[in-house]
Amino acid sequence: MARVPVEEGYFRIPEEEGAAPVLLGSFSPAANTYFWPRRKRCPISLEPVQDCELSTEGVIYSWTFVSMPTMGSMKADAGGGFGAAQVDLPEGVRIQAQLEGKQGDWAIGQRVRLTTRVVGTEANGDELVTIAFRLAEGGE
Amino acid sequence: MDRDVYVIGVGIHRFGKHDISRRDMAYVAGIDALEDADISFKQVGSLYTGYIGGNMLDGVTYAKDLGLTGIPVVHVENASATGSSAFRQAVNDVSGGVCDVSMALGFDGQLRGLSTPPPVAPRPTMGSNLLPAAFFAFWAVRRMHDNGTTVETFARIAAKNWNHARFNKYAERQAANEITPETVLAAPMVAYPHTAMMACGAGAGAASAIVATREIAEKLSNGRPLVKVAASQMQSEVYQPGHIFLGAIVGPSESTRITANLAYAEAGIEPKDLSLVHVHDAFPIEELMYYELLGICPDGEGDRLVAEGATTIGGRIPFSTDGGLIGRGHPGGPTGLAQIWDITQQLRGESGQRQVENARIGLAHMMGAGSVCVVHILKREEH
Repeated sequence: MARVPVEEGYFRIPEEEGAAPVLLGSFSPAANTYFWPRRKRCPISLEPVQDCELSTEGVIYSWTFVSMPTMGSMKADAGGGFGAAQVDLPEGVRIQAQLEGKQGDWAIGQRVRLTTRVVGTEANGDELVTIAFRLAEGGE
Repeated sequence: MDRDVYVIGVGIHRFGKHDISRRDMAYVAGIDALEDADISFKQVGSLYTGYIGGNMLDGVTYAKDLGLTGIPVVHVENASATGSSAFRQAVNDVSGGVCDVSMALGFDGQLRGLSTPPPVAPRPTMGSNLLPAAFFAFWAVRRMHDNGTTVETFARIAAKNWNHARFNKYAERQAANEITPETVLAAPMVAYPHTAMMACGAGAGAASAIVATREIAEKLSNGRPLVKVAASQMQSEVYQPGHIFLGAIVGPSESTRITANLAYAEAGIEPKDLSLVHVHDAFPIEELMYYELLGICPDGEGDRLVAEGATTIGGRIPFSTDGGLIGRGHPGGPTGLAQIWDITQQLRGESGQRQVENARIGLAHMMGAGSVCVVHILKREEH
């Protein structure tokens, strides 16, 4: 049973056990700016971009705990909710994804590290995974 | 704009969670607008239908209920800004001389996919990772960190809009008694720090607006003041540091400042000239930030406006006078047109208990996820 990205082209999963997923981004030499996900061309300069890989750690820009993901509803989510964060990577890219842990664990400015989260299973038994964040070692 | 454009008729069907069909709601709102304008559908030169859900044929099919006159009928879809975008297309038709009278008609059922889980879970994607409730909560938590904004400020904004909706019989949320900030805070949490009573309604509804040349508006005014479309602006995103490209996003927030400044320049007015404002208040953090991004107050001073009650009806600059997205409700198709409906009635002095005293200029702002920002400025003119 393998772990495969839920969609191709957004991140890769290193073969080493426990290694963080690596985001597949773009770099624009003309604008000196990084992007994620990959761009077909630089949205600022409209010039070509280069494929690149981005850092696996960043800092929390903002966070929340989603108890009820259905807008307009007055009923709590049966799943118990989940944490989520916007995270700034050193390259200047902001990523939003679910955040492991519970409310009270997180604060703006904390260091977090990319991880994977299982979101489904393929017919052949492969696990579909997406990206998530967890507090980095020493990031508490 | 090439030719001056005026709102000559507005119509609405009550927003809310009910079983009335989209087709019936669209008909009621369309006929209401035609009767308000005192014209026949035969005088309409083009029709823009705005809806998010349903079938791709619905717009032109529902138009047949109004009449088979052969006019161009176009379906417009732009997420939450669908109704605003349909209105802008109608304005452009009259402004550009395509026709002398144009109509925008928005309708939608409940926002399934945002409001209720689909019956069969779709294959997950990278973009479906998070929903809008999380996105606006990110804004709120960051605002609390940077500015010291409190959850009580968010609760006061939401309570205001619930209470404005009490004076609008077409609003989704009809509270029997005045809503207090304490009541809002006691509701179940949606996404910290937003409770369920801070989240926009997500029911059904329909609304319509008809625009025309000044010559026609004067003929049909019947003693009422004219309502001029003083500005119509739309912008998509430009890059900002921290730009997010993936997921349910509305922003970057600077889109509002950029689009509003274009609208102010087109209308030849400043923010201080406004009498009332409608915004995309899906959550109160949005309304709070738009106080500043629209130039109603300097950056960082929105909390003070709330504390002073300045954005309540009777205050210095009332916001969301029909209840806004939080109180009136927010089906994607008609919301922007409901804003035009309320501002037009306000400028005519026809708003009853929710009337803003001596209303002269109103601004309607909508964000559409993806994202776009649309701003219209309407101005009362005596004749």
